[in-house]
Amino acid sequence: VQPPEKPLQAEEWNRLRESFQSPEIFEEVMFNSMVRCNSPIDVAKSLLTHVAKNNGDIAYNLLLKYLALCVQQGQTSEIRDVYDIMKIRFKILESGAYNLLIKGLCNSDQWRMGLTLLEEVKKIMIPSRTNYESCIKAASRHQEMNLAFELYHEMLAKDLVPTLDVLQALFDFSRGMKGAELQKELFGVLLYLRENQIYPHKTFMRSIKLWFESIPGGNWRGHLTNIKDSGQCPVCHHQLEDSDLTEEEYNNLRERIIRDVIHGTDTFRKTSPQEFEAFQTFVENRLPFDIVIDGLNVSHIKPRRMQCENLFDAVNCLAKGKTRLLVLGRKHMLINSSNWKREVMKEMQNKADFFFAENISEDDAFLLYATLRSGKHCKFVTRDFLRDHKACLSDSLTRHLFRKWQRGHQIVLKKMFLSLFIQQPAFSYDCVVQTTGDTWHIPYKDSFEEKYSYQVPRKWLCIQQQ
Amino acid sequence: MQSANMLLTKILRSSVLPFAAQHGMKKVLFPLSRTLSLSLCLKQDNSSGPSEKLDLDEWKKVMKSGLQEEVSETVSEHKELSTLAAAREILEMWRLAGRSVPENISEEQLKTFMECPSKSAKKKYLKYLHLKELYKKNDKRKMDEKRERKQEAQKRASETDETKRSSLVCLWANTMDKAYNWRAAQAMIFGQPLVFDMSYEKDMSVREVANTVRQIVLSEGCNRRSVDPFHVHFCNLKDDSLYHKEFIKHYRGAWGKLLITVTDQCYTDIFPKDKLVYLTADSPKVMKTFDHNKIYIVGSMVDKSIKTGVSLARAKRLGLETAALPLEKYLLWNSGAKNLTLDQMMHILLTLKDTGDWKKALEFVPKRKYCGFVSKPVHDLKKTLNLINTLKLGKRQEEVRRQFAKNYSKKLTQK
Repeated sequence: VQPPEKPLQAEEWNRLRESFQSPEIFEEVMFNSMVRCNSPIDVAKSLLTHVAKNNGDIAYNLLLKYLALCVQQGQTSEIRDVYDIMKIRFKILESGAYNLLIKGLCNSDQWRMGLTLLEEVKKIMIPSRTNYESCIKAASRHQEMNLAFELYHEMLAKDLVPTLDVLQALFDFSRGMKGAELQKELFGVLLYLRENQIYPHKTFMRSIKLWFESIPGGNWRGHLTNIKDSGQCPVCHHQLEDSDLTEEEYNNLRERIIRDVIHGTDTFRKTSPQEFEAFQTFVENRLPFDIVIDGLNVSHIKPRRMQCENLFDAVNCLAKGKTRLLVLGRKHMLINSSNWKREVMKEMQNKADFFFAENISEDDAFLLYATLRSGKHCKFVTRDFLRDHKACLSDSLTRHLFRKWQRGHQIVLKKMFLSLFIQQPAFSYDCVVQTTGDTWHIPYKDSFEEKYSYQVPRKWLCIQQQ
Repeated sequence: MQSANMLLTKILRSSVLPFAAQHGMKKVLFPLSRTLSLSLCLKQDNSSGPSEKLDLDEWKKVMKSGLQEEVSETVSEHKELSTLAAAREILEMWRLAGRSVPENISEEQLKTFMECPSKSAKKKYLKYLHLKELYKKNDKRKMDEKRERKQEAQKRASETDETKRSSLVCLWANTMDKAYNWRAAQAMIFGQPLVFDMSYEKDMSVREVANTVRQIVLSEGCNRRSVDPFHVHFCNLKDDSLYHKEFIKHYRGAWGKLLITVTDQCYTDIFPKDKLVYLTADSPKVMKTFDHNKIYIVGSMVDKSIKTGVSLARAKRLGLETAALPLEKYLLWNSGAKNLTLDQMMHILLTLKDTGDWKKALEFVPKRKYCGFVSKPVHDLKKTLNLINTLKLGKRQEEVRRQFAKNYSKKLTQK
């Protein structure tokens, strides 16, 4: 349905209505198409007049759609009028109306009205994060940074997650502003990134860099760089944080994993108590290992090749020098079949220790147990990101430790044409936003990803105060 | 003259208002009062301009005038609302805004809505209530129409005064029920026991428990009507559990009169362990024939959220023998979960008991899940296929078949 170009009179609207398939929903459909085609506001007004004259009253959903059109076109006076009418007519408004109103008002010069509306919303329900986003952006745009940060803290207190857009806006509009309080607040935002292991994307990173360089009297300089394998930054020669956990954190994590993940709800679901005990004795007798490999996962790297040969390549790739390897397999690998040849298996058993679990057991728990028991230096090899195991852990502190430990100890192999190579080695330095007071190191990604990604970025922004 | 006329008509045609144009045209046709009519036309054009402007904001006036009457009537409306009342108001506004929200919502439903953990859970619950209400309304409307039609037909029949005669004996449903109940009573003394394990309450959501109970009601019904019923046991059914509440909701008074055994003991206390076989889709062992001396256990669990291995874990913990139906063996599986519903299981077991024929029994597996039935096991079929192909086409085809067999065995061993 195409909306008309010019405002129409009542008879013409009636005629259009009769010629429509289902005349009851004519107004709704017409408004929808107006919003889609961004028709001039007068056309919408004429339809509203026609409806008002016919029925004596306008339905709530039509008012909402008209409001959406006004917000789309930025007609602030109309928005105010609609708000006044709605407020008198209905006891309270719902979330959809408030979203539109706050968004429309915050984009205009009557943005303080938007803040009053936010207060109103707080009385009936928790405001959504888009509401806070519009208000924070409006406050920043008008240089009211204190207000913006107040709203930001309120949002965090209500467990709403701010989008990266909002954080970028805070940095964008603070450029060139002076004040120790403001600086502390923005450092607080960077620490928030560190706590939640968020990596900024390119535009956000540039925004941070420009803010740092614009601090009057601060003399900060930013450089894009890559960190050397040893963990030293080539620009400021500062050594990055170690990715290892402390003894206490390590023991804590190990206990929690054994309790929540392995014994968790039901040992029987993933394995059986007898098998797990057998595994425990096996590992205790042969500790410590340097690398633990998930055999079945690694054997599927190249789908066309024989599985035992895949595993053989992986073992060869990792067994350099005196590294002690443990490979977790399944009982069906011992049967001489087309995928698992006995000779290859025998040769592998010369280079590594093997444990064969039942075919129906889930061996991720075994992997974690063996790696944790072997000590802090031990790393594990699998392409699985162990998301379901992280979810079994009960509190967020343990989850943070798990992710930190995973970043520092998981090796991901990738296939090349003739061999395997290490796609994501276990870094010895910790890939997270870090600071020492006068330097800041921020890892960043090229593209923007909303969800938490398990891929660790290789590019860094180094900021130092000179 | 004519050019002035053309100019006038052009002006009139370009204006928006048709009836004003018509007026103007009539006036122009009188050539005597030409200049007068011209100014009259223009004045009308001007007067239509501001009236058009007035038109556009008139809706606001209509609304506000209507509202002022309301405001004068209801003076003290803006009290502080409690959270429940506020929630009800918000729901009402959502309904006006066009979202799928029910019209009437009871206190209990409102409480469940408030306890929903996330926004999407709230939305889904409201949509479910809305659809339920809609279906009820439609059903009521159809029933009313049907009743009206029946009444009219009766009126017509009474007018023409026809008496219906037929030679069939009237068999009331009561008689059939009595016959079924006698058979069920006989099964309780002499029949083979079948156990439903009711210990999965903690693993399911409220909705899944309701679904389970509905399936059990169906299976109990079809068991009662079969030729040789099982002696059905509900084990591990505690008195205040969700299962019990749902059963009473379904059966109401008849719950006390059902001819089945209900206990809160575990089946290992009632029957000897070596006779029990737990039927679960995760079992590695495949059932070959129906054993009339064993007691089969079926887990009463609906897994809308997939829970592999839970029933197997329970069987392993109690050290019981397990078995799975030979679905892979006898059916060319298409796509679909190998977990069957409880009434399908009941039908399959009853048919197996009566006939021992897998083909008839596996009729009850939904047809969309498989695309064919094979009477010989699939492995044997493949071997014969291989043989035929090697004889027909030589060695290359055999390699292709070997590749296929390798992938098939990989699928079996991958977990």
